[in-house]
Amino acid sequence: MRQQPLLRVVKRDRAGLPVQAAAYLTAILAAVLTGAVLLLIQGVDPLDFYGQMFTLAIPGSRYPWRMVENYIKLFVPLLIVSLALALAFKMRFWNIGGEGQFIIGALCASAAAMKLGEQLPQPVMLLVMSLCGLCGGGLYGVFAAGLKVKWGTNETLLTLMLNYLALYLLQFFAETKAPWNLFLDTASARPKFARFPDSAQMLLVPIGPFRLNLSLVAAGLLCAALFVYLKYAKGGYEIAVVGDSPSTARYAGMRVGRIVLRTIFLSAALIGLAGAFYVSTAGILSASVTNDVGWTGVVVAWLAKLNTLGIVATSALITVLQYGCQTASTSYPAIDANFANLLQGVILFLVLAADFFVRFRIVVRGRNGKEDSK
Amino acid sequence: MKKILALALAAALSLSLASCGGGNNGGNPGGNSGSSAGTPNSGSGGDASNTGGNADFKVGAIYINSQNDTAGYTFQHHNGITTAMKDLGMDPASQLLIVDTVPEDDTLVANAIDTLVNQGANIIFGISYGYIDAMADKAEEYKDVIFSHGTGWKNNDTNFNNYFGRIYQARYLAGIAAGMKSLEQKNNSIGYVAAFNREYAETCSGINAFALGVQSVNPDATVYVNKINTWGDETLERQAAQALIDTHDCVVISQHCDSAQPQMVAMENGRFGCGYNSDMTDQAPNAHLTSAVWHWNVYYQTAIQAAMDCKGDASQFVSKMNGNAYYAGLAEGFVDASPLNENVAAPNTKAVMDAVRDLIISGDWDVFSGVKLSYNIGEDGSVEIVKTDAPLMSDGFELKDGQLVEMAPEIVPAGGSPIDDGVIKGSMNYNVAGVVEG
Repeated sequence: MRQQPLLRVVKRDRAGLPVQAAAYLTAILAAVLTGAVLLLIQGVDPLDFYGQMFTLAIPGSRYPWRMVENYIKLFVPLLIVSLALALAFKMRFWNIGGEGQFIIGALCASAAAMKLGEQLPQPVMLLVMSLCGLCGGGLYGVFAAGLKVKWGTNETLLTLMLNYLALYLLQFFAETKAPWNLFLDTASARPKFARFPDSAQMLLVPIGPFRLNLSLVAAGLLCAALFVYLKYAKGGYEIAVVGDSPSTARYAGMRVGRIVLRTIFLSAALIGLAGAFYVSTAGILSASVTNDVGWTGVVVAWLAKLNTLGIVATSALITVLQYGCQTASTSYPAIDANFANLLQGVILFLVLAADFFVRFRIVVRGRNGKEDSK
Repeated sequence: MKKILALALAAALSLSLASCGGGNNGGNPGGNSGSSAGTPNSGSGGDASNTGGNADFKVGAIYINSQNDTAGYTFQHHNGITTAMKDLGMDPASQLLIVDTVPEDDTLVANAIDTLVNQGANIIFGISYGYIDAMADKAEEYKDVIFSHGTGWKNNDTNFNNYFGRIYQARYLAGIAAGMKSLEQKNNSIGYVAAFNREYAETCSGINAFALGVQSVNPDATVYVNKINTWGDETLERQAAQALIDTHDCVVISQHCDSAQPQMVAMENGRFGCGYNSDMTDQAPNAHLTSAVWHWNVYYQTAIQAAMDCKGDASQFVSKMNGNAYYAGLAEGFVDASPLNENVAAPNTKAVMDAVRDLIISGDWDVFSGVKLSYNIGEDGSVEIVKTDAPLMSDGFELKDGQLVEMAPEIVPAGGSPIDDGVIKGSMNYNVAGVVEG
């Protein structure tokens, strides 16, 4: 008889909601405490730091609404990208090409802005940019999906590598001064991206001093649409079936290849749309346009267990974490962005650990070498 | 780090979900969440004595790299700002607000500015070129805050200026040291590891000034430029320096890149070198002659003082600074050649450098002009500077829209007055005669 290993990981029966909640709360608490210890070592008052971090230092600031606007600028891309990635993950298609699809979407939207911005009125121009972002990102994603459907290539590797292709393409445009390079500012001696014409800037709805970014409204509508699509539409059901078992789907008469292509196009197109929103909100392209949203989106989608509402909540919290850390660290010379990253890493890692222990448990080998229980 | 986490997650996802039935699956979400930052405390010993009514004044800064760096571009600016503040009797621990590691992305820069303004910054320094548009926009939006942008060219007439220095003057002095060494070693090949060349006025003006300094001592010398197309990459810098020595037998290696690797390569090969940004004698004691260095605190002290003198009226900043573009050089002590390593330098080098430094400081002569310098060195080590009218000549090519095209070679006629505009406005896009790229 083969001896059991000393420690084994065994899947748990479904843990109840209270257990799950307790596990996650413990994890967050442990992370916050770890962070507090690290802060104390650096001579920073953790209460003050966390206070500023979780409120984005809004109380007592000179232009509080500006902080909310900035928060929205960071939140919307992360939300859309996470939703889109979850769509692919539901189908067990590991699209980690969010960065690349975001960049291509941003590039396509920017090209439209630079080329047509002078001619089209603002609402039309924004629609055109969104469409360009959708198509650009979508086609870039569907390329990897097509290869998988046709030849069974590994989509994880392919989408990963396509990220770098997109990134270097963007850098090429950023650094190459040439007459054909429509992205660059001709007034600058150094290569630098040009500002979009006014009509290519995102619409802002003034509410008092606050200016509501329309991409937030669009993201909200998108959430609702995806929720309905996944829950009630045939397409959403097909995604779930293909994800569970492609053979079952085939047996049920579904055209798996077509479903994969359609879903990945949708996923990547939405990521491209997020890129288009981002550049039109900024009104300019940049070489670091993604702000790591393609990576963070994977984390968000996973933490939220691919649940649409969960993704809304998680991406909102992660954005507070990121933006709040930066805001809070501003007044402490000892705390730099690396520390903020470290703190985020600790929190994410412990929450993931909690997630692991909710779903699995570690079994120690019994004294007589037999399994304890199952 | 985030990338590693995401990849680990993707791996965990596929492992744990793909095998849903199996109980014995070690779906361990591996991947370390980044190593500890281990940040050394940046000596924020607050001696906030004699804060003459300026205890409320807040300085904001946006950095491209970490504020806890111990070398490099961000470090120099951070060091300059904290030194300036301490010299002004301010306490950086409580009066300096920093957002660091901000990439050149308008949204992120604008967010950083909003954060600083919200926390009460009275003046905001942005040190990286790509911050230019966000700073220009925000200067219009926040009229009660002062904005100051390093290496840029945008400004306004009230609360927004830009700043940079005449580092080419220091390069000329370093060129003299290199030229003297090449004469002593009887080798007319001098190498230059450059991040870029004609693509940026910042780089080609440095190359040109250095070459003119070399030629003032050794008119037969050639400066070979090896371009690495990035501002810093230690491996490429090392390879580029070695290639210059191997192909052109260069005796002195100068550099416009971040690390001291070219100086170390020079030493390993028994050659000599001129560094940049910091005194690199420590890294290459048997090779390094002198470095062109910045004293950023000179600007930061001037600017913070002027900002405080505005007494709350930010619109006076530009007039207090006597203009909206600050370009100081040797005269103000903003740039200089670091102390000469006299154990390595050729005899009389220091005397010649000092004489030329005094000449430039006096304002009677500048590097890019129609007057060439040469030197008579007496037996006793005395130096007489000889001025000769001669045209400033390019090598006949300029870089336009990414293409090398022919140009009229004469830049300044013999006896013509200096043109520093091309450097300051960033339009210089050629090499002077005697510079060879490749």
